[in-house]
Amino acid sequence: MKKLICAITLGFLSMASIAQPRLPPHYYWEKLPNGLEVVVIENDKVPLATIEIAVKNGAFTEDSNYNGLSHLFEHMFFKANKDYPNQEKFQNRTQELGAILNGSTGDERVNYFFTFDKDSLNQGLEFLNSAIRFPIYRTEDMQKERPVVDGEFQRAESNPEYVLYFASSKKLWGNLYTRKNAIGIHEVINTATPEKMMVIKNKYYYPNNSILVICGDVKHEDAFAQAKKIFGSWESSGFDPIKKYPIPEFSSLASTEYFVMESTLAQTPIEMFWWQGPDTRNDSAATIAADVFLTILGLNSSKWQQALVDKGLTSSVDFTYQTEKYVGPVEIELEPNPAKLKECNDELLNQIRQWGNDDYYTEEQLRNAKEIIHRNAIRRREKPSSQASRVTSAWCSTGLDYMTDYEKNCDKITRDDIKRFVSKYITGKPYVAGMIINPEMNKKLNASGIFKPAI
Amino acid sequence: MQTFIKKLSGIIFLATCFTAALAQNKSAYDMTVNGIKVIVQPSGNEIVQVLTLFKGGVQNYHADKAGIESLAITALTECGTQKDSKNSFKDKLDKVSAEIGGFAGMDYSTVTLNCINSDLDQVWPLYVDALTVPRFDSSEFARIKQVAITGLKSQASRPDFAISKFSKETAFKGKDYSKSPTGEEATVSPLSAIETKNYYLSILTRSRMLIVVVAELDKASIEKMVNELTANIPEGKKIELSRYNYKPATNSFTEQKRAVATNYIQGITSGPQPGSSEYNAFSIAMDIFYDRQFLEVRTNNGLSYAPQVGFNGGLTPYTIFRVSTTKPDNYIQVMDKLLVKTHEEGFSPEEVKNSKTGYLTKFYYRMETNAAQASSLAANEILFNDWRRSLRINEDFKKVNTEEVNKVFNNYVKDINWVYQGDTSKVNPTLYMAGPSNHKLPDSKISNGNKN
Repeated sequence: MKKLICAITLGFLSMASIAQPRLPPHYYWEKLPNGLEVVVIENDKVPLATIEIAVKNGAFTEDSNYNGLSHLFEHMFFKANKDYPNQEKFQNRTQELGAILNGSTGDERVNYFFTFDKDSLNQGLEFLNSAIRFPIYRTEDMQKERPVVDGEFQRAESNPEYVLYFASSKKLWGNLYTRKNAIGIHEVINTATPEKMMVIKNKYYYPNNSILVICGDVKHEDAFAQAKKIFGSWESSGFDPIKKYPIPEFSSLASTEYFVMESTLAQTPIEMFWWQGPDTRNDSAATIAADVFLTILGLNSSKWQQALVDKGLTSSVDFTYQTEKYVGPVEIELEPNPAKLKECNDELLNQIRQWGNDDYYTEEQLRNAKEIIHRNAIRRREKPSSQASRVTSAWCSTGLDYMTDYEKNCDKITRDDIKRFVSKYITGKPYVAGMIINPEMNKKLNASGIFKPAI
Repeated sequence: MQTFIKKLSGIIFLATCFTAALAQNKSAYDMTVNGIKVIVQPSGNEIVQVLTLFKGGVQNYHADKAGIESLAITALTECGTQKDSKNSFKDKLDKVSAEIGGFAGMDYSTVTLNCINSDLDQVWPLYVDALTVPRFDSSEFARIKQVAITGLKSQASRPDFAISKFSKETAFKGKDYSKSPTGEEATVSPLSAIETKNYYLSILTRSRMLIVVVAELDKASIEKMVNELTANIPEGKKIELSRYNYKPATNSFTEQKRAVATNYIQGITSGPQPGSSEYNAFSIAMDIFYDRQFLEVRTNNGLSYAPQVGFNGGLTPYTIFRVSTTKPDNYIQVMDKLLVKTHEEGFSPEEVKNSKTGYLTKFYYRMETNAAQASSLAANEILFNDWRRSLRINEDFKKVNTEEVNKVFNNYVKDINWVYQGDTSKVNPTLYMAGPSNHKLPDSKISNGNKN
C-alpha cells in the first residue's frame, strides 16, 4: 500500500497546493487545517445524503483493561451531548430529521453514519458535530447501558458460530487477542466509568485522527463549505494518537492447534481454520494476491469447490481474508456433511497442501477471477449510501490510494504473487482449527478423534 | 459491532415502494407477453435485474411437503439443464460473474438474474434454460437435498430464526402461514428428484407468473427476451390467492426450554390486509411503536439490546414484537404499560409527521439498487394488485392523518400470541396471559380531526 501523503496545511494557502490522494471519479477530497480529512462523493441517484465520521479507534487500540470500551464509547455516542442532553431528546432529533443511523466498532475503525433527506445536510452535520465533539457521560446512563451491551454479548453467545469464532480468535492472537475483540470483555464494560470514556475521547477523538465523508445528492463545493464551517473549530490534538499510543505487534503462532467444543445449540457441526495473514503496513501486494486467490477458490470450476462442495463433503466452504493494517486474519469456514466428517477434513487438508502447486488453477480461472473482481466493483458502486463506509474503512486500514487502485492492482497479480502469499502465510504455517458440535453427535461420530491434523 | 439498530431492521414492509423521483430513471411501464404481465423499470445504470415470480408460496403445497418449492427453485440452478450439466451451467455464469438464484417465500417464489448489461446476451439463454428445461439430475439433487437438510439444522441453531419459526407455528397452527418454505428435515428427506421436478412443472404455468425487469433495455428487446422465455410454457389454471385475517382471540403464552445465553420472546398479533384503506396508517403506527418500544425497553429500562417491532404485510398480515432479555417478566410489564399508554393516549401529530419524514428516507434508501426496485414492484403487484403503488407511495403516505393511525393501532394491536424460548424458570406466564387488551383509545383520540 502506498501511504496517503498528508500535506502540511498552511492557513490560507490554496487547497491545490496540498497533495491529493488518488480518488475515483466524482470523489473530492480536502484536508481542513485541523487535520480532519473530508471526502465528498457526488451521486444523485436518490434525493438523500449520507454522512459518516470514522475514527482510528477500536479493538486494535485496546489492552485488557480497556477491551470493549471503544465499543461502549460508540454506544454512548447515541446517548447524550450538550445539545441533546438525554437519549430521548437525541432520539427525537433523529426522528425529526427522518434519519437512518447506526454506528459500528471494528478492529481498526469506529464509525457513525446517518442518512437523511438531501435538504437536511446542514442539520445533519450539526447533529453529528454535537455528538462527536460534545458527548456527555453520566454514571447513571452508563449503568443503564450495561445490560444493553450485556444483551449484545448474550445474543452472540447464543449463536454457536460466534462461540467458535471467539474461542478461535483467542488462540490465534494469544495474549493480544483483545486487539481483535471489538465486542470487548464483560467485566471491563460493566466496570466502565465516565472517566474511562474521557480517556478514550482524549486519546483518539480528534479531527486529525478522523475522516468525514459526505455522499449522495450533494454538491462538493457546498458540502466542503459546510464541513469547514461546522467542524473547522474542532481542535487538533497536535499529535498522532496511533504514534503516541503505539500498537504492539502480534506474535506469530507457535504451533498448530486443533480443538473441539460441544454445544447443544449446534445442530450441525461448524468448522473454522485460521491463519495470521498479511497486512497493509508490511505486505500490501500479498493482501491483493489473497483477494484474487480467494476469488479463484470461489469459482465453481476450482479444484477447491469441486473437491469439497461438488462431492457433497460440505454444504459450502468460505475462504475469507480481512484486509487490515495490523495483521489480517485468513479464515476457512465450513459446515461439513456430518456423514462424511473424516473425508471432508482429510480432503480439506489435502487441497490446502496443493494450493502452492502450479497446476492448482488455470490461466483461465485467474483471468475469470479478475473479471469477477471488476464486476463486483460495479455492483459495489450501485448503492450510493454504502460508498461512505467503503471510504472510511479504506482510510483506516489501507489508505485511500489502495482503495482507488484496487482493481488495477488486482489485474497486475501474477501466479508468483499468489504463490508467494500461499507459501508465506498458509502452507506449512501454524494455524488454529476449531469445531463446534453437539455432544450427542460428537459421541456418535467421534468428532474429537477425527478432527486433527493429517499425519 | 453494530450498535444503534434503527428502523430498517425493525419494520418489515413487505410491500415496500419507490417513487418516480429516482434521479435519472425513465418512467416505468407494463406490457403483456404471452399472457404474462411484464413490469419494466428503466434503471439508468449498467446492471440488469430480472425477476420471474411464481404465485402461491405456502398455499401451493400441503404441510407434509413443506420445502418442496424451495428445493425445486434451488434445483433450477444447481442440478443442470438439458443443455448444460450443473458444472457447465455454473462455470458459464462464473465467467461473467452473473448471478441466477431463487427464493421460496410465504406468498410467492422468485427466480432472479443479476448481471452486467454487456453480459446479458451470454447469460439470458442460461436463465431461460434454468426456468424452462431444468435437468433435475438425480445425483445433484441428492447433493442439494443434503445441503438443504444441513441448512435447516444450521437455521435451527440460530436463536432469532428459532423463535420466529416457533412463533409462527404456534400462532398460525393449522393455517398456511404455519408452514416454513424451507420445510423440516422430516418433509425434505423423502423428496425425490422426480417428485420435485413434477412439482416444479405443476407451478410452471403462465397463470402463476409475473416478470419484472429493472434495466436499461429497450422495450422491443425485452419483449423478444420474454417471448423466448415464455413461449412454450403452458397457460395453466387461473390462480386465486387466498387471504387470511389472523386475529388472536385472547392473550396466550407458550414456552420452550432452550439452553441459550439469554431468553428470546416473540409476540404475534394482527394487521390490516394489503390494499385495505388501513394499511398505510398501520405501517406508520408500527414505525412509531418501534421507536416507543426502543425508548422504553432499551433506553429507559436497559432490558434488551435490539427490541424489534415488525409489520409483515403479506397475504396473512401480522405484527411481531421480539426481544432477547434476561428479565422476561420485567419486559412484559414495561411492554404492557406501553401498550396501555398507546391505547389510551394514542400517537401525537408530531410523531406521525416525523414518521412520514423517516419513511421517505427509508424508502429511498431501500430503492438504491435494481434488485430492491424489482422486489418492490413485484410485491406491490402480487399483494396489492397494483405495482404503480410503488410510484405514488410518497403521496399516499402524505394523506394519512393522526386519527387514522390511532384508530388502526387500536383495532389491530389487542391480544397477542406470545412464545418464549430460554430458561423457563425465569418467566411468569400469567403476566403474559393477562395483557392489556381491554384498554381502548378514547373517542376523543379518534375523532379529533388532526391532519398531518
